[in-house]
Amino acid sequence: MSKIETERLSQAYKEKAKRLKTWSGIELEPAYGPRNGGTDYAADLGDPGQPPYTRGIHKNMYRGRLWTRRAVVGHGAPEETNARFKTQIEQGVAGLDVITDTPSMVGLDADHPMAEGEIGICGVSISSLEDMELLMAGVPIEKVSTVLLPGGTQCPVVFAAYVALAQDRGLKPSQLRGTISNNPLHLYFCGPVGKITNPMDLSLKLSVDIIEYCTLNMPQFHSGYSNAYDMRESRIGAAQEIAVGFAEEMAYIDGALARGLDIDDFEPRRSMYFSAHTDIFEEAAKLRAARRMWARLMTEKYGAKKEATRQLRFGVHTGGSSLFPQQPLNNVVRVAYQALAAVMGGAQSLHCCSYDEPVAIPTEGAQQIALRTQQILAHEAGAANVADPLGGSYYVEALTDQLEAAAGEFLDEIDQRGGFLAVAETGWLQAKMDEATLNFQAEVEAGERVLVGVNAYTTEEEDLTPGGVFRVSDQAERLVIERLQRLRATRDEGKLRTAIEALAQKAAAGQSENLIPAIIDALRAKATKAEIGGVIRQAFGYSYDPLGMLENPFEGNG
Amino acid sequence: MADIPIKVLITKLGLDTPDRGAMVVAHALRQAGMEVVLLDTFQTPEAIVDAAAQEDVDVIGVSCLSGEHLRLTPRLMQAIADGGLTDRLVIYGGIFPREDIAVLKEMGVDNVFMGSLSGEFIDYIEQNHAAKRSA
Repeated sequence: MSKIETERLSQAYKEKAKRLKTWSGIELEPAYGPRNGGTDYAADLGDPGQPPYTRGIHKNMYRGRLWTRRAVVGHGAPEETNARFKTQIEQGVAGLDVITDTPSMVGLDADHPMAEGEIGICGVSISSLEDMELLMAGVPIEKVSTVLLPGGTQCPVVFAAYVALAQDRGLKPSQLRGTISNNPLHLYFCGPVGKITNPMDLSLKLSVDIIEYCTLNMPQFHSGYSNAYDMRESRIGAAQEIAVGFAEEMAYIDGALARGLDIDDFEPRRSMYFSAHTDIFEEAAKLRAARRMWARLMTEKYGAKKEATRQLRFGVHTGGSSLFPQQPLNNVVRVAYQALAAVMGGAQSLHCCSYDEPVAIPTEGAQQIALRTQQILAHEAGAANVADPLGGSYYVEALTDQLEAAAGEFLDEIDQRGGFLAVAETGWLQAKMDEATLNFQAEVEAGERVLVGVNAYTTEEEDLTPGGVFRVSDQAERLVIERLQRLRATRDEGKLRTAIEALAQKAAAGQSENLIPAIIDALRAKATKAEIGGVIRQAFGYSYDPLGMLENPFEGNG
Repeated sequence: MADIPIKVLITKLGLDTPDRGAMVVAHALRQAGMEVVLLDTFQTPEAIVDAAAQEDVDVIGVSCLSGEHLRLTPRLMQAIADGGLTDRLVIYGGIFPREDIAVLKEMGVDNVFMGSLSGEFIDYIEQNHAAKRSA
């Protein structure tokens, strides 16, 4: 051995734990014991299925039913995404998550001038009811639990298209299972999609319309979930993730209560969306703490009476910002630990990121590994057999207590500053997130935080895409634009104008009119998503086009 | 010479919206003593070039995270040529399949960074901006 090799070997042998904190920065002791906990079993933990649900919302947890193994699908034209559904179902997914592309998220139709080059890249392109029909062709929507993930103020239009599709198939809306994302408020913290194209007042009004419509007509459908996940991606801590997610949900709750709905009628059909990062113990403890905190919040603040209202249900999506492009196969390992944390934390559904996501849209092969990760957890790793396997661990119980306390403090501070809408508008929460982003980067740059393959254990030349690269088809853009132009050219102008005028009138009525039925009518009259969105925006005093580039075609010489 | 800070434009392109990376890069460049113009999102290639000309930047830095780079880069490079700014360093940061990096360079992008620590792109800018501008 050369002298250098001997030195390296000696250094590697002596290597020890470096950052003696959780991933989010909680200082840790070398070991935990009975001295760390003041936990009262009955009051603070309870058996699985018992309040405060720290140990899970079901008595027998995954013995009753495994968590829903989900995959996010969405690229290109609707028919291309439809084809990927079928591959996913063959591979054994239990639920589909459909995500729309960036123009759709922003509220633009596929033929908007800014949509050039963006069609179908980050999701599926949806502009009309016809697109929804093609997306769901052959999918039995009364049997499959589908999560629809359109962005922001586009939610009611995509939701209405799904309901219209069901009715056209002879189904009743009450037969539909699944979820609409319906979480436009968090988008305020996801770059300008929120700030520019999803104004707060309009976002809240439309999301409450969906909650109300579902509560009255669709008892099996989830009317939305608050998106703690996306906000955590800014690198705020695990405790803050709970707090911002709850703060967002409280904004919808307050909106629905103001509409005259009863919390025990609507809240049981809502859920939360959390992340799972790589620190297994902290993430599992976070999910346990969140459940306990929720049960107390619902009882103490909102006077919830139903058990289902007090039981926090959530989906987990493994943390995208915790994956790195360098040595991409390492991400398979990261995702496996994250998924383990989610399952040990008692998630109701789980989506695992694909290892190649930091480089491009996932390949089918990478998506398959992500799904197999969940199946290995369920059937080989022993993670599904026993509820709350970490319960009673001195360390995990101490972390659960600490995270609950820190989350409570942060939520109180948001509350004192006027709640979620207020801290969004003043920029206070954004500043906290920016600070977290920059702190994380500083720790990485200084080598204080070790990221394997990124700032340590690096290699020179790497194959960043060992499984190849997935490309959105060249034809998607042409296909969806041609279809949209055909729709515009062949629709009945009279019917269209009647439906658009009715929608505009209802929108002008403000809070008193639920817009979902009028949106369904407009979609049937072949109005496009951006036309519907634009007319509603104008009624609330905003520009017809979210980017201010197009005029309302229904105004003037009509 | 050394007293005049290097001026860098950092922007997103098209509808690509995740803006954390652009914020982090802008912060790192400022820490390194550069002057940074950080544009709002939803920029067309033409609007980026207008801003670059108006601010007379040395470097145009584009953050791309949503996969539209191959479609929009030719339009950006054309706008740069039309605006007479071919002497400015053009660098990209974000996520790209490796095979696309060579394609972007062929289109005229000077360098592409992915998952880099800040030292890498700071060094690159310091070492290359002046040569490009006097070329």
